Amino acid sequence: MIALQNVSKTFESLKVLNDFSLEVPRGQILGLVGPSGVGKTTVLKLITGILAPDAGTVTVADGIIGYVFQEPRLLPWRTARENVAIPLQTRGMSKIDARAKAEAWLDRVGLDGFEDYHPAELSGGMAQRVSIARALAVEPLILLMDEPFSNMDAVLKESLLHILKDVVAERKTTMIYVTHELLEALRLADRIVELTPDHGVRELDLSDRAAVARAWLAASLEGLED
Amino acid sequence: MVSTTRRSEQNPPDGRRNERNTTLFALLGVAAILVGWQLLSFWVNPAIVASPAATGRAIARLAADGTLWIQLLITLKRLVIALAIGAVVGLGLGVLAGLEPRLRSVLEPLRWVGMTIPAVIIAVLAGLWLGLGDVAVIFVVTVIVVPGMYINTVAGVLAVDPRLIEMGRVYGFSRRLLFKDVYLPGIASPVIAGLTLAAGIGVRAVVLAEVIGAMEGIGYSFSRANSFLLTPELFAWVVLLIALMGGLDFGVLRPLRRRALRWRKAAG
Repeated sequence: MIALQNVSKTFESLKVLNDFSLEVPRGQILGLVGPSGVGKTTVLKLITGILAPDAGTVTVADGIIGYVFQEPRLLPWRTARENVAIPLQTRGMSKIDARAKAEAWLDRVGLDGFEDYHPAELSGGMAQRVSIARALAVEPLILLMDEPFSNMDAVLKESLLHILKDVVAERKTTMIYVTHELLEALRLADRIVELTPDHGVRELDLSDRAAVARAWLAASLEGLED
Repeated sequence: MVSTTRRSEQNPPDGRRNERNTTLFALLGVAAILVGWQLLSFWVNPAIVASPAATGRAIARLAADGTLWIQLLITLKRLVIALAIGAVVGLGLGVLAGLEPRLRSVLEPLRWVGMTIPAVIIAVLAGLWLGLGDVAVIFVVTVIVVPGMYINTVAGVLAVDPRLIEMGRVYGFSRRLLFKDVYLPGIASPVIAGLTLAAGIGVRAVVLAEVIGAMEGIGYSFSRANSFLLTPELFAWVVLLIALMGGLDFGVLRPLRRRALRWRKAAG
């Protein structure tokens, strides 16, 4: 379970979160949507503990966290295999086992044959898949994803969404999926929370997902018709 | 399953051909210097410019009676010790100052002093304080080498991608792993550039220090040849110094650079 209670966070003079509360039960897939700068990434970083709240409390009951950043964030001097294996080794797995596991996950995200490539030799989408393999390989109980598919084509995104759904269902992983594409969140999430620029938090009613999608599409088309 | 397209394999023969071309052009450069030097020696009094042939004979003579090897070893020993101390001090202070802004502020005036005092003044003071010999020469070279190493290391630490550090923290990297796998490879390029620079400055500094503050070594021998108007010998020591620098570059610095930056080459 993840719980943020009355959390506030300010960067320099910019208040990003103000008295923000959110609870995510074990095994839930939460879509966190909203425009840039409303604090979606900050929520993820607070959960990992790399950021501390200025006020309020952050409680994370389950242990291991997998994090897919907006960019791949791979070590440029390490191969795809090593990039996936290193976090496993930091958890005490032997080098041989870690490498075998890394290879299996690279295979699962469609990178069989690219294990020995360095990040600079991979396309942006391929590097991001390495980063997804890295996050899944640690067998996380909490999976945090920060707009992970922003530089991927639709077909690839589709197949990765399938893999994610499978993995999450297999292990009852809690997942927070940050995106500004509501449609993406609608496809994946059990529940969607929208953050607004005025520090508002709105839970979307998902009883009729098609209606939510239509409303969102209509809103985004408005701009085009002007 | 996700579909993928494989990138075309890199073409290693191309890389080797490039390397051969580089060597060829480097040799052409050496030949141009020798031809220019030979031509110059036709026109100018041999007491001022010794010809390549006369210089070659002087080198052979110095090598045969052992002087060359003894003086070369003395200078090399001083240079290597000073470079090692300078590199360790510069790197250590650079890493600490890169991570800790307060230390960086404290060291800033010191760096400024180190970079602006002329080498000759340091050499004269070292002679005064430490007497003539190894200690004074090593001191001079170390003091001159440290600021450059320090500056490059600080720049390297500051340029390490904070997003990678964040990634490491999320995935539970220990301090040791963060240092070994995020900081160290991140600063390798500027640190090796600093070391190359330091070696070049170090060779000049060691000669200057030996001219002023020693009774042995290439610098001292050069100065002595100058006093006795032994022009071919004078030129011989200059050639030897260049060879020393070349040996350091090709024998130590380039292999180090290749090793540290292997991943860049792999990445093309």
